Amino acid sequence: MSLELRIGLVIALLVVAALAGLFWKLSTGRALKASGLDRIDLADLGVIKNGQPVTQLSTRVTFLQFSSDFCTYCAPTAKMFKALETTDSNVTHLELNITDRVDLANRFNILQTPTTLVLDRKGFIKSRIGGAPKAATLVSEIGNFDI
Amino acid sequence: MATQIDPRGPRFGASIINVLSVIIFFVALDPATEGTAAFLFGIAAVLFAIGAIWGNTKHPFGWLYKTLVKPRLSAPKELEDSRPPQFAQGVGLFVSLIGLALYAAQVPFGVAYAAAALFVASTLQAYFGYCLGCQMYLGLKRISVIRSV
Repeated sequence: MSLELRIGLVIALLVVAALAGLFWKLSTGRALKASGLDRIDLADLGVIKNGQPVTQLSTRVTFLQFSSDFCTYCAPTAKMFKALETTDSNVTHLELNITDRVDLANRFNILQTPTTLVLDRKGFIKSRIGGAPKAATLVSEIGNFDI
Repeated sequence: MATQIDPRGPRFGASIINVLSVIIFFVALDPATEGTAAFLFGIAAVLFAIGAIWGNTKHPFGWLYKTLVKPRLSAPKELEDSRPPQFAQGVGLFVSLIGLALYAAQVPFGVAYAAAALFVASTLQAYFGYCLGCQMYLGLKRISVIRSV
């Protein structure tokens, strides 16, 4: 293989890696509309908050965050949701660690953590956010729900 | 166990792997020097094994970061869980072993393919903040590659 071709392939590799990085940056943390037909039953999932089982959804919007032990962005994401929860009483944040719950990962087709399901007051999944969401995405998600 | 580490440490290590992997890629493209590339891959595999077993802070690059880089930086804004970057070291070890296996099996450009994969992964981690554990752990578990860690 000629030196020119090898250098060309190195440059092509640099471009591919940079494009992959940009694509990931642009696509991560975005909210995608769900069918709205699947419903979450909190008691069924065994969601715990502050040591207590949770059965009540927010009257407006609930963010159900799935996390794992091998996740850099789960803790900062939870922190962001908690801050939102304290400033907006219509928002509830719930977190579920599914490191050992392959059944739930399969059921909700979760491939990455954090994955957040956006639920209405009846528990219907309105949208899902793969990766760490940006603050503006959450504000616009909340805006989609009427009180 | 989960400990909290400076997130810039693993990213510094990934940037060194990034440079190393592009060198391996270039060297592996010439069949005459493919053996050198495989040797460098072997070194990378040993480094990844150290990181995967004992964690990033016990890794030579972690030590380099702590003694040479960190004293020149301000304190980290926040710390991160040590487990995701340790998982990424395991992925790096796996890719290195694949590269060595392809070399042993004399697959044409096998070492170059593995080096390219390592280069893309380390670019994402070092410069874009990509987290391999976030993206891969559940998927690998769902197809039962991982049973328990």
